[in-house]
Amino acid sequence: MSHVDAIRLVAACAQCEMALVRDDSVAGPLLVQAARAGEATEAEPYLTAAARLARGLNPRDGSPGSRARRKVVQALVRAASTEAGALALRGPRGGPAG
Amino acid sequence: MTRPFGEDGGALAAAGLDVDELQALERRLIDRLGLPEPHGGSIDAHCHLGRDADGHRLGTAELLADLDRFGLRRAVCFALNDPGPDRQFMAANAGVLAAARRSGGRLVPFCRVDPTGDWEPALRRAADGGARGLKLHPVAQRFGLDGPEVAACARAAAARGWPLTIHAGYMARPIAEPLRALLRAAPGARLILAHGGRGDARAVAGLARESERVMLDTSLAALPDLVQMPASRLCFGSDRPYGEHATALHLVGRAAEVAGWSDDDLAGIMGGNLATWLA
Repeated sequence: MSHVDAIRLVAACAQCEMALVRDDSVAGPLLVQAARAGEATEAEPYLTAAARLARGLNPRDGSPGSRARRKVVQALVRAASTEAGALALRGPRGGPAG
Repeated sequence: MTRPFGEDGGALAAAGLDVDELQALERRLIDRLGLPEPHGGSIDAHCHLGRDADGHRLGTAELLADLDRFGLRRAVCFALNDPGPDRQFMAANAGVLAAARRSGGRLVPFCRVDPTGDWEPALRRAADGGARGLKLHPVAQRFGLDGPEVAACARAAAARGWPLTIHAGYMARPIAEPLRALLRAAPGARLILAHGGRGDARAVAGLARESERVMLDTSLAALPDLVQMPASRLCFGSDRPYGEHATALHLVGRAAEVAGWSDDDLAGIMGGNLATWLA
């Protein structure tokens, strides 16, 4: 993954994070895009799971299960965001990104 | 009781989620972190107890179970945004203080007040009940950090030897310059800026680097905001129940790799740095 790809992934994760905080219905499509941007990175499993779980999000459903689902999706996106940030900062070979 | 990502496994299963899969993803996050145990034990600098108007809630038993599960010794706790009819968190602070008294020293109680109101009786009552710090939330209570009432709160906390935790996450206002003014107005104050100061990250990083009276907690922080900070200016936090411990630990572990922190640096972040302020 190039540095540009890593920056793209960081931006995609940040968009997802904010959409989820705001309970915006665009979060689902953004997560699908982010999962594609994160393919073959450490962020992939978290974004793939988050995108799948986000399909069941319903901002109008205040049940404990629905709230817990949203919190788990948010946690998965945090994990992906951290991985994306690390990838962008340390570069693909473990050294500083160029 | 399983609690993947801090959420009730029963509720997740009832909603049709695969709890085993979530637990596996959570384990993947923390399996290879290798975070050292600080002398005296690790400390979570940022946890809430009680209930919030927005629906978040966390009980003492759940928090202690979370700490046990992730090998954390102590947690700084304060109320959620539940100011009550007096608007000064009297009941919520009392709940946190009672939980701390029952915790065998594991929960370190901070109190919350609203500096725009009549906060001094609430702070005195909390001090009498064993509070060891103060938490202010300028977004929830809608005040600026540059007002004289905030400086008065900071001086009152400093007079008791308390650290002062200030929400420094999402907010519209710049906070670094008001915090510089606050440090001048309250010469003994020691500030824990929550969430890595991400609400005004570039400016807050400069402030934290120049003052040994400022520490950033890592709760719900962004990795780039942590990796250029001196390790001595950071303390681990989770922001339970808004955040949870697996991603909070993962963040610190990945930041350590990127920043090249030593085991001593990490031990400080995981509790050693904050322990000196809680002594």
